[in-house]
Amino acid sequence: MIERLAPEVVNGIVLGSFYAIVAIGLSLIMNLTGTINLAHGSFMTLAGYLAFAIMSRGGSFWVALGGAALLTMVVGVAVERLFIARLYKRIPLYSLLLTFGLSLIAEESFRLIWGPSSVPFAVPTNLQGSTALGNIVLPTYRLVIMGALVIVITALLLFLYRTRLGLRLRGAVQDPDMMAALGTNTRVLYTVNFAVGVLLAAIAGIFAAGLLGLQPTMGNSLLMPAFITVVIGGMGSLIGSIVGGLLIGLTVSITTLYLPAASEIVMYVLMAVVLLVRPRGLFGEAGIFG
Amino acid sequence: MSAAPVILEATGVRLAFGGVRAVDGVDLRVREREIAALIGPNGAGKTSLFNALTGFFYPDAGTVRFRGEDVTRMPNWQRISRGIGRTFQSPSIFPEMSVAQNLTIGIQSSFRLSLSLRPPSAGRRRELEARLVELLGFVKLERLRDRQVAELSHGDQRLVEIAMSLSTSPKLIMLDEPTAGLAEADTSRILSIVRDLHDRLGLTVLFVEHNMRFVAALAQTVTMMDRGRVLLDGPPSVVLKDPRARDAYLGAEESVRA
Repeated sequence: MIERLAPEVVNGIVLGSFYAIVAIGLSLIMNLTGTINLAHGSFMTLAGYLAFAIMSRGGSFWVALGGAALLTMVVGVAVERLFIARLYKRIPLYSLLLTFGLSLIAEESFRLIWGPSSVPFAVPTNLQGSTALGNIVLPTYRLVIMGALVIVITALLLFLYRTRLGLRLRGAVQDPDMMAALGTNTRVLYTVNFAVGVLLAAIAGIFAAGLLGLQPTMGNSLLMPAFITVVIGGMGSLIGSIVGGLLIGLTVSITTLYLPAASEIVMYVLMAVVLLVRPRGLFGEAGIFG
Repeated sequence: MSAAPVILEATGVRLAFGGVRAVDGVDLRVREREIAALIGPNGAGKTSLFNALTGFFYPDAGTVRFRGEDVTRMPNWQRISRGIGRTFQSPSIFPEMSVAQNLTIGIQSSFRLSLSLRPPSAGRRRELEARLVELLGFVKLERLRDRQVAELSHGDQRLVEIAMSLSTSPKLIMLDEPTAGLAEADTSRILSIVRDLHDRLGLTVLFVEHNMRFVAALAQTVTMMDRGRVLLDGPPSVVLKDPRARDAYLGAEESVRA
């Protein structure tokens, strides 16, 4: 029983950590600027392809991880400065349409450059294979992902709660005007915030490429569960995104084991139940778009 | 008094929202170390003028000069670092943070530490701490230092706001209805703090207020706005007694309690 359930639980936690980390990025951007970033999945895919390009030129997996994540963040900053920042004063529909358009352009560009089907994104051999914990055998790469995502989330929390910049981001979410009145350049704050969100997406995208395979639609396929994570966890709550992501990941994996046919719809059922019982989400604040 | 140089000067400021001319050609001069009041019925354009003066909205026409420099199109946060502090009409505090954290944000800005990640030196940290203690002492909230602001009374929150506007070390403080919704006892606490801003710290104060006793007790000059324009301008003894001031308030929600 436990031997059969354990891999699915690990699977669920890995999947859930992906959803959580993408959802945190979405949530940061949504809370501070009201931007519903539909291009978030494209940044994941872009990071995957950039890592692939670095590795196919002889870079190691870890070099590719760092390099591609940083390059993707630079692209993210450029997109924010050039396009998205112009729409902050308008209703969220404008940036929603803009980022939807950007995601379409991005997906077609990936198709043109790297082709429509999967590219061979290989994780290093020492990360493949399996690791035995007692009498439970688990895939090594999934354990690595779990560890890496825990480090990333811890680093993010330290950044938000232990640095001056983090204090300002948290404050600006509550009241951006007051933050400006205290002498903080809020434009820079918006850009930093967007960059952090994109960086999280990029890291998730590179790890996901090794797990799910890398094709032009990879990021977008993770985007819908991430949005559902935000809805379930509650907008404005980091802890909500983490709990929501793990909840969805575990529910989907365990459903896959016992009722495979329902695994696709179970997260929507979960969302519907949460919305009925608690419309603001598990940890959310009411009226983010008030 | 009239010999003091002008610290803030608005000339022909206009600001419209859609078809509504919220500020319709306003001239305003505030002299250094002066306490100036801005009064007028609701919708007169006082807060919109504040927003134009502090860069939260750019005026459609006219100029704003602060200490001789044209700041009409300067971003709000930059104006703050030039020496303008302000509060807002609606409570503007970070409710989930402690009193100390609320004040620290502005102090760090004035130390030019707001956007860097490097930890400050030990000496710098001592200066930050000293400034925090000084601000808490000024509004007499030392005992609430580590309390979450959301837990504080309305009056204490108002004092935190004033301390926050002071945290960036401004030359001019602009307060938007500092006593709105406060009980009598809290109003007198605010009154004595605002007087201290001027008398003890030597700051220039410009405030919007509906409480005419508060205006009469503090202001050296009063500017009265109505429908986006300046209606009257002068010492409180003259403006508050002018029949046109009473007429402007008639029909509005407030009554003049001079």
